[in-house]
This record gives sequence, C-alpha cells and structure tokens, in this order.
Amino acid sequence: MLTAVLSGFGGAIAAPWLHRFAPRYAGWIAALLPLALMIYFISLVPAVAGGEALRFSYAWVPSLGINLSFRIDGLSLLFALLITGIGALVLIYAGGYLANDPMLGRMLMLLLIFMAAMLGIVISDNLISMFVFWELTTISSYMLIGYKHEYEKARKAALQSLLVTGIGGLTLLAGVVLLGQVTGTLEISDMLTRGEVVRAHPLYSAILALVLVGAFTKSAQFPFHFWLPNAMEAPTPVSSYLHSATMVKAGVFLLARLNPVLGGTEVWQLSLTAFGGATMIVGSFLAVQQTDLKRILAYTTVSALGTLVFLIGIGTDEALKAAMVFTLSHALYKGALFQVAGSVDHETGTRDITHLGGLRAAMPITAAAGMLAAISMAGLPPLFGFIAKEVQYKATLKEPILIGVALVTNMLTVVAAGLASLRVFFGQPAHTPKHAHEAPLSMWLGPVVLALAGLGAGLLSAQVGNALIGPATSSVIGKAKEIELLLWSGIEGAAGQALALSVVTLVVGVGLYQARSIFGRIAAAAAPLAPWGAEGWYQRIVDGMLALAAWQTRMLQNGYLRFYIGLIITTTLVLTTFMLIVGRVAITVPADWADVRIYELMVALIILAATTFVIRATSRLAAVVGLGFVGYGTALVFLLFSGPDLAITQFAVETLVAILFVLVVYRLPRFGNLSTTGARVRSAALAIAGGALMTLLTLVALASPTESRVSEFLAENSAPRAFGRNVVNVILVDFRGFDTMGEITVLGVAAIGIYALLKLVLAPEHDEHKAAEAPSGDGVPRERAETIDV
Amino acid sequence: MTEIIIPPIDWRVAAQLSIIFGWASVLLVIALFVPRSRTRIIGYLAIVGVIVAAVAGIPLWGVNAETFSGMLRLDAYSLTLNWLFLASTAITIALSLDYLPRQGIERSEYYVLVLFATGGMMLLAQGADLIILFLGLELLSIVLYVLTGFAYPRIASEEAGMKYLLIGAFAGGFVVFGIALLYGATGSMNLRAIGETLARQALTPEERTYLLAGAALVVVGFGYKVAMAPFHMWAPDVYEGAPTPVTGLLSVGSKAAGFASLLRFLVEALAGEWQIWAPVLAALAIATLAVGNIGALTQQNVKRMLAYSSIGHAGYILFGVIAAGATDGVAGQRGVESVLLYLIAYTFTNLGAFGVLIALEQRGEAAWDMGDLAGLWNRRPWLAIAMAVCMLSLAGIPPTGGFWGKLYVFTAAWLAGMGWITVIGVIIAAVAAFYYLRIVAQMFMAEPAREAPLPMDRALRVGLTLATLGVLILGFIPTPAIDLVQRVVLGVRG
Repeated sequence: MLTAVLSGFGGAIAAPWLHRFAPRYAGWIAALLPLALMIYFISLVPAVAGGEALRFSYAWVPSLGINLSFRIDGLSLLFALLITGIGALVLIYAGGYLANDPMLGRMLMLLLIFMAAMLGIVISDNLISMFVFWELTTISSYMLIGYKHEYEKARKAALQSLLVTGIGGLTLLAGVVLLGQVTGTLEISDMLTRGEVVRAHPLYSAILALVLVGAFTKSAQFPFHFWLPNAMEAPTPVSSYLHSATMVKAGVFLLARLNPVLGGTEVWQLSLTAFGGATMIVGSFLAVQQTDLKRILAYTTVSALGTLVFLIGIGTDEALKAAMVFTLSHALYKGALFQVAGSVDHETGTRDITHLGGLRAAMPITAAAGMLAAISMAGLPPLFGFIAKEVQYKATLKEPILIGVALVTNMLTVVAAGLASLRVFFGQPAHTPKHAHEAPLSMWLGPVVLALAGLGAGLLSAQVGNALIGPATSSVIGKAKEIELLLWSGIEGAAGQALALSVVTLVVGVGLYQARSIFGRIAAAAAPLAPWGAEGWYQRIVDGMLALAAWQTRMLQNGYLRFYIGLIITTTLVLTTFMLIVGRVAITVPADWADVRIYELMVALIILAATTFVIRATSRLAAVVGLGFVGYGTALVFLLFSGPDLAITQFAVETLVAILFVLVVYRLPRFGNLSTTGARVRSAALAIAGGALMTLLTLVALASPTESRVSEFLAENSAPRAFGRNVVNVILVDFRGFDTMGEITVLGVAAIGIYALLKLVLAPEHDEHKAAEAPSGDGVPRERAETIDV
Repeated sequence: MTEIIIPPIDWRVAAQLSIIFGWASVLLVIALFVPRSRTRIIGYLAIVGVIVAAVAGIPLWGVNAETFSGMLRLDAYSLTLNWLFLASTAITIALSLDYLPRQGIERSEYYVLVLFATGGMMLLAQGADLIILFLGLELLSIVLYVLTGFAYPRIASEEAGMKYLLIGAFAGGFVVFGIALLYGATGSMNLRAIGETLARQALTPEERTYLLAGAALVVVGFGYKVAMAPFHMWAPDVYEGAPTPVTGLLSVGSKAAGFASLLRFLVEALAGEWQIWAPVLAALAIATLAVGNIGALTQQNVKRMLAYSSIGHAGYILFGVIAAGATDGVAGQRGVESVLLYLIAYTFTNLGAFGVLIALEQRGEAAWDMGDLAGLWNRRPWLAIAMAVCMLSLAGIPPTGGFWGKLYVFTAAWLAGMGWITVIGVIIAAVAAFYYLRIVAQMFMAEPAREAPLPMDRALRVGLTLATLGVLILGFIPTPAIDLVQRVVLGVRG
C-alpha cells in the first residue's frame, strides 16, 4: 500500500523526462501507472466486499502517535478506484488536450503528484498523515489552477482557492489535534470505536465546528463555494479530475469517514443538512444562469457536493447508501461532461453556450458520450444517475422540507444537464471561432469510457451494489450492512413514491428547460447583489486584512527610534507594575528624613540642576559638560557615604567619557529642532515615569534587610582569604574575577569589531554610494525620518 | 603566605566554548599573515573550527556537569543548542564566502566576529548563572552591532547598526538592573539556587517584590534579543539594513540563543512563579504573533517580510516556552521539546530563505523586492524549489520541518492548558500562510522581471543545499530530531 502511494510520487518525478523523450505518447505512458494501481485495487475488491479491511502501518513520529498507516475498507476502496480509474483517463486526455504545450511534462507531473496525494487521503488510517496528504492536494491544486499563469485571472483564482482551502486545512488540523487529545489516539480505526467518548465530550462542538470548516472549504460548501467556479480557469483535464471527480470530494470523504465518530448527533444533522441543502439550491440555481459551459458544470458540481453533505447529514442507513451511490454516479457523469466540455472548447474555440449548437454532426462520438452522461445527470433510466436519484428521494421521504430541497435541486439539475448537452449538440449549427471537427482518440476515449461505465453500472446495479456500494456504506455506518441496489424496485411503498417524485422532477425540469430564458433575466436582475455574496465578503476580508496590516506597520514601524525606545520603556513599566500588582506586595518607602545633611542636599540639587541643563542644552558640548556634572555629583555621593574607592573610579570614568565625547561630538552638527512640542512632552512624561519606577524599585531595595547577607561575607573574607583590603577591588579581581575577565573579553571583541568597521570606513572606494539611500522604516519618507532624535 | 588554590575546572564543560574562542583568537593572528586577496581562507578556516567544535561535542553527549562554581553547565539541552548554533554558523559562513567580496566588504575580521558571536550564543545556552547569561548577551549583541553595520557604504546598514545598538543598550541596562534585583531577593545569581529558594518559599513579601520586578526586567532584556513584541521594533529595520548573511544569523542563531537563555531562566529559576509569568508571556506571545504576521502581509520587500515573519515565529516559540514552565510535568517536558524542535526546523528554514536572497543579490543592487522573485522557476528552478520549500516550512505546511515544529508547539500549549492561545495561534498561522504562499506564487507563476542572477559560488550552493535538505529531511524523517530533543530534560525535573 505504501508502494501504491509512493509510486505516484515516483511517477511524478519521471513525468518531465517522459515528456521529453516521448512527447506524443507521454499521456498514454503516464496513464499506465494509475491503470496498474486500479487493477491492484480491483484485485482487493473481493476481500473488502467480504468484510475484510487491509491495514499497513509504519511508525513515523511515534512520540506523537503519528504513523504512516494505511487501511483499505469499502469507503477507501470506492474512492481509490475512482481516483485511479478517472486518473488514468485524465492523463490520456491531458496528453491530447495539451499536445502542443511545451509544459505538458509539468502538467503530467502535477497530476501524478495530486493523484498520489489524493490516494493518500483516502487510504490513510492516521489523521495526521491524512492531513499531510490533504495539504499536498491543496498545494498541487493551487499549482494546477495557476497552470496558465500568464493569465491574471488564473493566478487570482489559484490564490483564492489556496487561501480558502488552506485556511480550512489549518482549521481541520486544529480539529484533528483536538480529536486526538480527546480520544487518545490518532489512528482512525481506533477512533471509530470511541465515538461515544467524543460525542459526550465537552469539546465535541468545538471539534465538530473545526472539522466542518475544513471539510466545507475543501468541498466548496456554501458559503465557501465561490472558489470552485473560479477554479475553472484551470485547464479542463484539471477541472475534470480535481474539481469534480476527486479533490472536492475529499471534504465529503472526511465527513463520511468520521461519521461513526462525530455523526448522529442533532447538531451534526442540523448543520450538515442545513449547509448541504443551502449549497444544493444555491449551486443548482446559479448553474442554470451561466452561459459558460464549464461554469455550468462547476455550479452543478457545487450543488452535487451539497447533496452529498446533505445526505450524510440525514444520516440514516438509506441516506448514507444514497450518498455512496451518488458519489459514484456523479464522478462518472461529471468527469465525462467536463472532458466533453473541454473537447468542445478545444475544437470550436469557445465555451459560451450561446455561441454553440448543432455540434452532433461535426463531433459525433463526443456528442454521443456527452448525451449519455447528461442523461445520467438528468436521472433517466437505465443509467446509474437514475438509481442515484431514486435512492436519494427514498432517503428524504420522511421530512417534507428535505423532499422539497431535493426536488428543487434535481429539477434545476435537469435544466443544467440540458444546457450542457442538448443546447450544444442539437439545434442550429452555430458559427464558432474554429471550424469544429471530431476530437482525437485520446480526447474522446475518456468521455466514452466514463459514460459507458455509467450505463453499465445502471444495468449491473445489483453487482455494483454488492461489490462497491455495500462495503462503502458499511464503512460509513460503522457496521456491516447488506444493501440492495436495483434499477427497478417496483411501484409499491417508498419505491413508488420515489418514482413519482422522479417523474415530477423530469416533467417540471423539461418544462423549465423550455422556459430557460427566465433564468437569464433573473441573473440580470440579481447582478447588483453580487458584491454582497460570499465572494464579495471574501474580497472584503482580504482587503481589510491588508489595510489593517498597512495601518499597523505605519503606526508601529515608523522608523523613529524615539518611538521604539518609548514603547520599550512603556512596556517595561507596565510589565513590572503588573508583576508587582499580581505579586501583591506592599511597597514601604523609608520616611526617615531627619539625618539628611545640608551638603548631601546640595549635591542632590547640583545633580538635578545638571540634569535639567542637559535636557535644555542646545549644543552638544554643553550637554556633555552637563553630563559630566551629573557624573561628578554621583561620585561626590559615593565619597560622602564612605566609598572613596568607588568615587575615584567614578571620577576616572567620567573624565575619560567626557573626553571621548568631546572628541566625537566635535565632528557632529549642532542639535536641530526636529520634534514637535507635543512629541517632546510625551517623551518627557515617559522619561519621568520610567525614572520614577527605577527610583521606586531602588527605594524598596534599600528598605530591605537582605542587603547585609553578602556584603558582610565579602567584608569579612576579603582580607583573610583574598589578601586584599580594598573590598571593591577584591570583588572585581577575585570573588567575581571570572566576570571581570568576561567583561574585558567582551570589550576586547567590541574593539576588534570597531577596528574592522574603521578599516571599512577608511577604505576610499565607497564614498560615492553614500547619498541616495532611503531610510529604513515602513513608509516613512526620507525627509520625515530622523534616525536619532536627541 | 598561603598557596593560591585554583579550583579544578571540568574542561569537558568548556570544551566547545574554548575551541571556538581559542580558534577565533588564533584566526585573528593568522589573518595578519594572509594577503587581502586571500581573505577567503580565513572563512574556510573558521568553518574548520566550527566543525572541530561540533565533533568535539559528540563524546560529550550524556555529560551532565557544571564548572566554574556552577556558572557554566553542560547538559543535553546546551549541547543540542550548541550543535544548532554551530550548524547555523557554518551555513552562515558558507553563505558569506561569496557574498562579501561581491559586496566589496570582505574583511577577515568578519569571520572572526561571527565566531565570537557563536561563542556568545553558546554562553547563553550553557550559562547557569545570571552573570554568564548577561555576559553572553553582551558578547553576542556587541558583535552583532558591528556586523549589522558591516555593509558600510549603505546608509541603511549604518542606521540599522545604530538603532540596534541604542535599543540593545537600553535592554542591556534593564537586564543588569533586573539581575541586581533578583540577587537582592534571593542572594544568589545561580539559576538553580534561585529556583530552590523559590521552591522553599522562603521569601518575604518584599523579597518577592524584587524577584518579580527583577524577573520582568530580565524578560525585557531577553525579549529584545528574541524580537518579542513590543521589543521587536529594531528587527525590520535591522534585518533590512544588515548584510544578508548577518540577517540570517540574526534571525536564527541570535534568536535561538535568546530563547535558550530565556527558557533556562524561566524554567530553572522561576518555575515556581509560573502562575504569574505565564499569562504575561501569553499576552506578549499573542501580541508578537499579531504584530509579526499582520505586519508581514503588506511587505513588498522580501527581506523585511522575513523580518516580520521572524517576529511572528518568536510568538510561536513563546508558546513552547510558556508550556515548558507548566507545573504539569508532561506538558512541561513537551514544552521544552517543542521549543528545541521548532528552533531546529526554523533555523534551517530561515537560513535557506536568506540563502536564496543572497544568491539573487548582485553587487550594488538589492534583489529583495517581490518582483525580483518573479518567474524564478523559469530562470533558476533549483533556487525556486529551495525557496518554495522554505516558504512552505515557514507557513507550517507539511511535509516540511516547520510543520512538525508548529504541531509540537501547539500540542505543548494545549497540554499546558492554554486552549484559547492555541486557537488564536492556529488562526494567525492561517493568515501567515497568505504571505508565504504569495512568494511561491510569484516564483512559479509570474513572468520573470529581470535577467538570470549570477551563477552561484560552490560554497553558497553547498550552504543553501544543506539548509534546504535539512528542512526536507526534518519534514520527512522527523524521528531523529524528535528523539534528540526528547532526551533533553530541563529544570527541577532534571
């Protein structure tokens, strides 16, 4: 099984070379791989139909319970067959459709990657590894939609689908992780037995919401449906494969897979039937308003996906069976119709149905396949689509509102089927940009095979029911279940009611098709509402995010160093104050002012005066002198409180710094008044607040008795143990000598760095570059950006 | 006079540090004898030193020892991080070998300074004492101030160096004051000793005041180093202005070192006060995520975008840091593991991304605009693939290393009982995917806007390949890395 998945990735690597060496047959050769895989999966049918599930597991990240485990049961097998079977046809089709495209190799590569990833989703038995494949399909879908990247629309559509499904994917990941936490396992097969635990858990609704968002975005459910029609910018093989038959069904698959775990509750039923039903009606209603062949098909796909979600939501055995039947029938007829649409486009040069007509003479084979598929879509016997519709009606019979939804959708689907086939192949031949003739073998093979499969499945419904639908339905229900699938099940009871509904559907559907011009008028009337649709909101959210981002960077990242430092101080204030408040500590300020001497007061006043002078100074030299005063004042304080050694150090450092300052400042321009008064006031307030906090902390520290602990030890031990009488010196060179050495090293390294910079600066070659550089900071023009605001 | 007894030094603990510092000093001397045109030799020699130091660490696995009176410690935690630092240094130097002469700023001191920066990072990872942490912080910062200003003729580079220096000086001052307060409160600067004092609950209310205030100040200092909001302001300007390989080093090594020390500080010394600091850091983590990721959305300049992105990633790593302090042992251990795993994945990813930018950069012109990446797939497919892999990893999309990092961080945060934080993190991750994937779209879908870049130098190619392969290997076979981080035990649990 691992080989089955990995071979797709292997084939993908080989695809570009394949195209280089055998450009004409690349599609045919590439199709051999999915064909072989399909034969492998067919060989598993008897075992799986017998109720077996094949399992394979390889430990990937054991610590998190993540394994690369695969399990094939009825549900996986049904999907795996669709993926490989349609995959083979699509590869052949792509070979013909893009025969003259030099990038065909890349297309085949991406299609194979996608196929492997999609197989990974359906046969994974571990939610995380399934998620990994899920994301891979999102990315490959993105690349495939943007394949015709020279078109702006294609790029936009690619990005849109990526955003919608990508965000959905991450939501799903959150849901999956939660599910893992609740059940204690990530293996799906283990999880299936723990549905009770999950449904009773307080986090159930959160998990459900997250998983549903993931599934709904992927499967284009209302209100996330808009990305799918836009994704029709992709070349037709891609639309046929990803956006109708397989990838968009991944969300449906996930819901079916997790039905035994999450399903059966009221909120599950309500949300799935509501969203599914809304999607059905919206999708089919929009479908009949379109004139672009592919968009008609895309909206009916949206509607069909809605139907699947709707059926899973109903949740009865009958409904789940109907979902599986519809999955198969839809994949067959929609795959065929998309390829037919692609052939028509390819041969005539247009997809606009108002410019098409009477093509059955020019393209007889394509027309026959298209008509057959469309009959299945409309739900006429003896095709498989008829059976799908019958079981669907049977599943809805209990609730009138459900019948109503299904009825409206199916009627409109009949109209869409007519638009996609009758309108194109019958009537007056229209003048098309290219002269139409039959498509090559590679391009009619797919539609013919798929359409015939729809016919065959209808005729052999009992066998298909036993081999595929039954096992698949059993997996979704969570226990073995015999099912019966008949083309004709009589006219008594439920079967008769369903048949009656089918007849009504068809009659009204045909009537609506005759009166189809009314849909065009409705579309025109509804056009002004478009900006308020789901896509309008999507655009608004994206624009809003970008505007917020622009605003944020303008506010926060304005290039003013003053602002940056101000914010740091503010945060420090808030943080420290918060810590103090949460720590619930009382601050006691010593109130003993009695023995403050007059000369101590003098020194304090000198320091204060000098500080004010520094702030008010208009020349750099004056500011340096002022700073010197502050420093000397501090040294005096040390001297007064019997720390002559500290005082001497302070004097020396102050003097040295003052000299250095003067040397540097000498070369700098005078202060310019660059800030407004308001900015200065704000800065002053902030500075005072910061200073106040530090003062407060210092005061608190001084009031505490802990200070004596170390100083006593140091004072006592410096002479006897370190042989030094100057305690400060002993601390520096002995008790904490290692720190001193470290500091010296740091300074040494700094000196080396400065030396290197000086060498760069003094190298003459660079001077001319200096002028024309913009400042850093988001969106601040050079004139306003002051780098250092003094 | 009594004999002076030098306490025995456990050289195993200081072995890697000594190799790096010693070799850096030796290289300074050797550089005197190397002619200007052969400066590249110093770069190669620096890589040799890094490899020797990395190899020297192999027999040290399993050692759990302290030396210099418990100031320096070697354990699985610091050894893992040391290897990470050495790897990022080696890749950074490889990326620089061609870049420096192309930009006309090749000086042998550059390589020496990078080695010193590495030493600073290792000090931050190995420091078990507040003083050593401060020393490491200063050493790293000062070297980086200089390296940031190294692209001399560009004014942006000088401006960046200046801003970095001034903000760094502020942060440094806060750290010193914080350390003093912590010392006042507990009478010790040793992280474990502080933790034990806390555990005994022997503090008076006043002492608790300084402890908390001091802790807040120290967190500010480290927060600046890791570009945590709101101390992140320097990052976009500095990242943009610095020479690109230095930006790479800033965004990975320096950030990882900041987190290494922050994590050790919080877990070993302050685990007892988790209830208080966890909500504070959680709020800061959310702010960091929001500022970084939303800021990145509108950037047209890829280098700036990566700067914002790196701020955002600091937010995710903070999740792990918070979880690491959790009183619940399982969550705490998962937190430590998640921080390390995230750092490993992130290091390789970011170096790869900056490597691509370096490959595109020509002398005298910056190739950092979105438009410069347009159509890269058609011009240089391998570069485009490397960049795409890195972007996917940054966005946390499987199968890349970044995915496992995010998964680990989120589960850790969840286990630590921070459900709502995890949800916000996931939502923001979805927003972030937008700008990373926009770059992928540019490379694969837009038409080329400029001619093909210069052919790549061999060293650059090797460095870039190493980084990208690292991301992919971590993505496909994460088990070895996870096994490695699982053996790391930190704090009171150790």
